[in-house]
Amino acid sequence: MIGFLTGPMMLISLAIFFVGLAFRAVMYVRGLNWQLERVAYKPHLALGMKGALHSIRRWLIPGGTYSWRAQPFMAAAFFLFHIGGVLVPLFLLGHQVLLKQALGFGLPAMPSIVADVLTVLAIIGGVMLALRRIALTEVRILTTVYDWFILAVSVAPFVSGLIARMHWGNYDFWITAHILTGELLLIIAPFTKLSHIVLFFMSRGQLGMDYSIKRGGMKRTFAFPW
Amino acid sequence: MPEGTFCNKQPVNTEEDLKALLGDKGGAQYYEEMKHLDVDVPALAATLEKTCKSRTRTWLEICAHCGMCADSCFLYRVSDRDPKQVPAYKIQSTLGEIVKKKGNVTNEFMRHCVDVAWSQCTCCNRCGMYCPHGIDMGVMFSYLRGLLYSQGFVPWEMKIGSGMHRVYNAQMDVTEEDWVDTCEWMADEYGEEWPGLEIPVDKEDADIMYTLNAREPKHYPEDLAEAAILFHLAGENWTVPSQGWEQTSLAMFAGDWAACKQQVETVYAAIERLRPKRVVGTECGHAHRATVIEGPYWAGRPDGLPPAPYIHYVEWLAEALRTGKIKIDPAKKIKEPCTLQDSCNYVRNHGLANITREIMSYIAEDFREMAPNREHNYCCGGGGGFNGIGKYRHQRNEALKTKRDQILATGCKLVIAPCHNCWDAIRDLEEEYEIGIRWSFLKPLVMKMAIIPDHLKPQDDDE
Repeated sequence: MIGFLTGPMMLISLAIFFVGLAFRAVMYVRGLNWQLERVAYKPHLALGMKGALHSIRRWLIPGGTYSWRAQPFMAAAFFLFHIGGVLVPLFLLGHQVLLKQALGFGLPAMPSIVADVLTVLAIIGGVMLALRRIALTEVRILTTVYDWFILAVSVAPFVSGLIARMHWGNYDFWITAHILTGELLLIIAPFTKLSHIVLFFMSRGQLGMDYSIKRGGMKRTFAFPW
Repeated sequence: MPEGTFCNKQPVNTEEDLKALLGDKGGAQYYEEMKHLDVDVPALAATLEKTCKSRTRTWLEICAHCGMCADSCFLYRVSDRDPKQVPAYKIQSTLGEIVKKKGNVTNEFMRHCVDVAWSQCTCCNRCGMYCPHGIDMGVMFSYLRGLLYSQGFVPWEMKIGSGMHRVYNAQMDVTEEDWVDTCEWMADEYGEEWPGLEIPVDKEDADIMYTLNAREPKHYPEDLAEAAILFHLAGENWTVPSQGWEQTSLAMFAGDWAACKQQVETVYAAIERLRPKRVVGTECGHAHRATVIEGPYWAGRPDGLPPAPYIHYVEWLAEALRTGKIKIDPAKKIKEPCTLQDSCNYVRNHGLANITREIMSYIAEDFREMAPNREHNYCCGGGGGFNGIGKYRHQRNEALKTKRDQILATGCKLVIAPCHNCWDAIRDLEEEYEIGIRWSFLKPLVMKMAIIPDHLKPQDDDE
């Protein structure tokens, strides 16, 4: 069972994840329309790309935007959750061992202690996101069952992975749960809100282009003050 | 009853229909008819299929429901943080539903959307700056307005406004004859005080073509005279077109994209006819948005730019002061503390924050910023057509509290508002809340403090 899950199933999940998300990104760009969005992408491509990169970069920096600074709790939750969420799956030693077995190559691995800390912080970030959903009326009114599902699917591999790593309870059960929830996340990502893994960059980039090309980019000395 | 006499899916295209619609005081019959207007579901579905593409669909899909946009919205803040005023909620519960149901919605739902689209969003675009995903709900509300308009669900005044553009190519009933007469009248009226003052109509190959807001010739023609005097003082070679002088677009507020295109094309035709080196627009925010920022796209111009360089009045004025074409008498600079209203349409949405501050540095000794300011400033409270809709007057007056409190916090009694919509909103907030402020465009202020060269002064006959 574990052999199947960490062998063919892992490869299938990764394939769906990468191909699916690449497809989403391509379809996003293909669906852009200069007349509908009223943004002249092509004639001002260089300016637009500059705005796109600036828009993405500012938002990836903790405290890089007015919005992050105005809402430090949310910013902390967001960055704790996403830093762990991106780095741990990519650079965990155990994942690299599996990858090498399956494909013959792997990425560099981070020290285990770093992975442990990032995992715990990501879980804390996830709990903070959940608390906001419960405590704040402006978030509660927006929250649906679907949002809880996405949050649960995203946090589950971290919780199960940490429990397995710490050998709390039945290792075989938790490591299987970890692999299953991780693969579930990979498989559903392209078809759900998790597609924001790539569409975040698309959407942020597009608005950056919009502001740079049409909404004043040519008039501002610096890029748009996000 | 599917289509009403006044409330229907047909745009107003004739003077007769326009007058009849205006005759329905306050839209009493109009709104009554709206209650029975059918939704043309296949047409709505077809429009969605054609115009709701990846950007909008992605925005609706990936919204993380995080609520970070809530505090960015002044309408949320002034309504005791009513969660129903959270921008993401407002757009998801209106446009989001229409898209999800592929247009299969009821009359009642469409009327609800009208209330949200025109009384809970001024399309100021501030929320888009605070969303991590870069979801611009103002842009989506504008899109929603277009869908609603195409189905005949639009506030009475907005239908009239877009009808005005369709009938007169102006937001008010100012004909070409009225307009040219007003130019002559103002040149005459002020000619004695300003020898040689002209308002040249249809001069070809001038350095500047000036475009404005129909309210100026209609209700305060002295604004046109002030523009003329400042061009005269600066020694500009300028002109106004007999046709294509109206820069505004209530059609944009209404979501009547065909009328937007028709209107802006009259201005571009004037540019192509008169071949000015550049065009200067009046102190109006949405006129700039409509004609300079969005207009090129309505007119199908692939480079997204108007046919000639087209600048806002504040850009021209800053340049005239910078280069010394107009000199300020230091003794006449504004001494009292004064503040500045940043118009969403040309500051957040066209990057002119530095320009207006440069002007303030020339004309004011004690300029104080509102907080927040520049790109992050709040809407005046009356943008996006909100000022003009009687049905939502109460909501609009509530909305003015944001600007009221921002102004009060500066301690200034003078507010400079180089935008018609902002100017109106600030006037109305003084009327409503009586905080003892004055408000002004730039033209009258600069006119009073400019140094007048001797050769432009009236000459005494005996000398």
